[in-house]
Amino acid sequence: MAFKYGGYMGQMLRINLTDKGISKEPLREDWARDFVGGAGLAARIIYEEVKPKIDPLGPENKIVIMTAPLNGTMIPAASRTALCAKSPYTGSFFHSIFGGFLGPEIKFAGYDGVIIEGSADTPVYIWIDDGSVQIRDASHLWGKEPFEAQDILREEIGDEEIHIATIGQAGEEKAPYAMILCDIRAAGRGGMGAVMGSKNLKAIAVRGTGGVTVPNILKVYNTAQRLNQLISTNPAVKGLSEYGTPRMVNALNEGGILPTRNWQTEVFVGMKEITGEVMKEKVVKGHRACFGCSINCTKYSVVSSGPYKSVINGADFETIYGFGSICEIDNIEAMCKADELCDYYGIDIISTSLTISWAMECYEAGIFTKKDTEGIELKFGNTDAMLLMIEKIGKQEGLGALLAKGTREASRIVGKDSIRFAVQNKGMEFPGHSCRPFPAAAVGYATGPRGASHHDIRPTPEKIGLVDRLTLEGKGALAAEINHWLILCDSMALCHLAEPIWGPMKISDSVVEALNVVTGQELGYEEVRKIAERQWNMIRCFSAREGFTRDDDQLPHRFTEEPIPEGPMKGSVISKETLERLKDDYYAYRGWDIKTGNPTEEKLIELGLDFAVKDVC
Amino acid sequence: MARVSVKTFSVIRDAIGAGVIEIDVENPETVGGLFDAMVQKYGKPFKEKIWDPDTGEISPFLIRLNDEIIRSTVDLDKKISDGDKISLIIPVGGG
Ligand code: SF4
Repeated sequence: MAFKYGGYMGQMLRINLTDKGISKEPLREDWARDFVGGAGLAARIIYEEVKPKIDPLGPENKIVIMTAPLNGTMIPAASRTALCAKSPYTGSFFHSIFGGFLGPEIKFAGYDGVIIEGSADTPVYIWIDDGSVQIRDASHLWGKEPFEAQDILREEIGDEEIHIATIGQAGEEKAPYAMILCDIRAAGRGGMGAVMGSKNLKAIAVRGTGGVTVPNILKVYNTAQRLNQLISTNPAVKGLSEYGTPRMVNALNEGGILPTRNWQTEVFVGMKEITGEVMKEKVVKGHRACFGCSINCTKYSVVSSGPYKSVINGADFETIYGFGSICEIDNIEAMCKADELCDYYGIDIISTSLTISWAMECYEAGIFTKKDTEGIELKFGNTDAMLLMIEKIGKQEGLGALLAKGTREASRIVGKDSIRFAVQNKGMEFPGHSCRPFPAAAVGYATGPRGASHHDIRPTPEKIGLVDRLTLEGKGALAAEINHWLILCDSMALCHLAEPIWGPMKISDSVVEALNVVTGQELGYEEVRKIAERQWNMIRCFSAREGFTRDDDQLPHRFTEEPIPEGPMKGSVISKETLERLKDDYYAYRGWDIKTGNPTEEKLIELGLDFAVKDVC
Repeated sequence: MARVSVKTFSVIRDAIGAGVIEIDVENPETVGGLFDAMVQKYGKPFKEKIWDPDTGEISPFLIRLNDEIIRSTVDLDKKISDGDKISLIIPVGGG
């Protein structure tokens, strides 16, 4: 019988790598209604199935790859899929959201999601070919870099069109911030690659030949047309097609909010050489898009000769930030090489680059010496040193073995002033979106379930002047409503890069319309907002059950104690007192316990999360 | 009359064809007056990047006026003077 709501396949696939059991089970209608799909629904499944305090790298952890009702439909920018598990990097629930084609392909194969449990004795890969599912030997793929492994799989399976998620060497060795390559995009953050590696799972390959059913195709078509029109005329989105995400590098620098030199400042003198414009002129050879996306933000770049010879899908803004201004490197070709090396080893670009800049600061402060770096002059601005360190991290060799642990763990081991140089929250290094001048962004980063993620909070409303950035008034509420549009999009497959269409202050009417036309529901704005609030609380419950409290909602020393030293945002800082005040405001708006920072019994009952009361209240 | 220099980026720069321009602003010598002068000079390609064609409202973005950061949504009446340096920091969402 067809599923109650449109856009769903009505079926989950469960694969147990320990006993090689494979089963298909119906998707719960009540969970689809209450949590939609993607990250929200995966959070519900993982809360139910993953016991508290388990080892994230043990067989008890589960990977849930969850699609959403919009995946595989003609709604634009609905390519995203959630890869979720308990994170070895943050110790809590983690949703790593990736674009590309894998999510829609899983649906075309007939599933809303895949639950992977247990652990294989020897390397394996999963081959999903519509209704046929196999766990196959992957010993010949172990040790291969992700793209080579994908080529081998395509040849072996004899199908150029399959879509594949693969880990690299770092994932195989369970490096804490190992990532997963998924076609032209990646599930980059939170060490999801390490979880795959801990299960001896090298890859997941999928071929689907079915389709997605919606209740009224004409309605979906009309909504898709309208959204495409909005996308094609919005200047903020248009720049993405032209220059990719690095379109804003020069504007950020002009505004004094381009994080530089491990966040010691937010103005980069070498900015002119690493802009989207320079990238377009020097290395971009084409544009690439995820499934059904009219934005084409992904660039295809080639450095054809010289020491930085490389071919990448990118570079994205986070590469330019991390390997550019943060390490004070002003060479766009070197950035392409750095990006390629991260893909080769399968390591997250943000954590890798921030860990290297942390090490550069330690070196310049005399905490590391040439003996530690094996003769490398690990100073800011040293391009070759940066590239060598990526290789060392990828191989976990020499100082790279320490840096592969990330800044939180590495600074705990090294001690001294290095703790002050670690720009992280809950273990996750910060992305390139400033928050010292933006209080809502600051409290959003601090309270984010994934630590420092620009996909749990966005500084945009404060950054473009939609609200007064200086006031603290109402910033808890603003942060919470930004959380809501982000988590809802992460549950509906909508890409955050179309931010002006889906947000940016709160869930937009377009999101509500897209959900209703695809699922055939007639939900009002408040009902949809309530779903997002439920999803956010569900994730907070997971963290609370693991022992997280308001004490874990922190910002790095650098943001609370060191004002931006120059430029138009000079003097901006979020003091510890300000942060605590913002947290009070945020918890109060959410109806959470101000003391613990966790949901109250009343709030959980109101949201239908009664089952979590015994765990967190 | 105020002669000011204006720096632009990304799609705005593409619309006006230069990263930095010098322009005369009069009646009134304000940020809003600057935008009027720019529409006069660069026409529709510039206008459609700054104003929402459906609502007629100005897009929200930050403006750097010398060393001060101001907002398009509330600071159109802000005075500008001869020699001022202005940057249109638009748009900086996404990424
Ligand atoms: S905007 Fe970019 S990342 Fe997002 S779906 Fe489109 S092509 Fe993919």
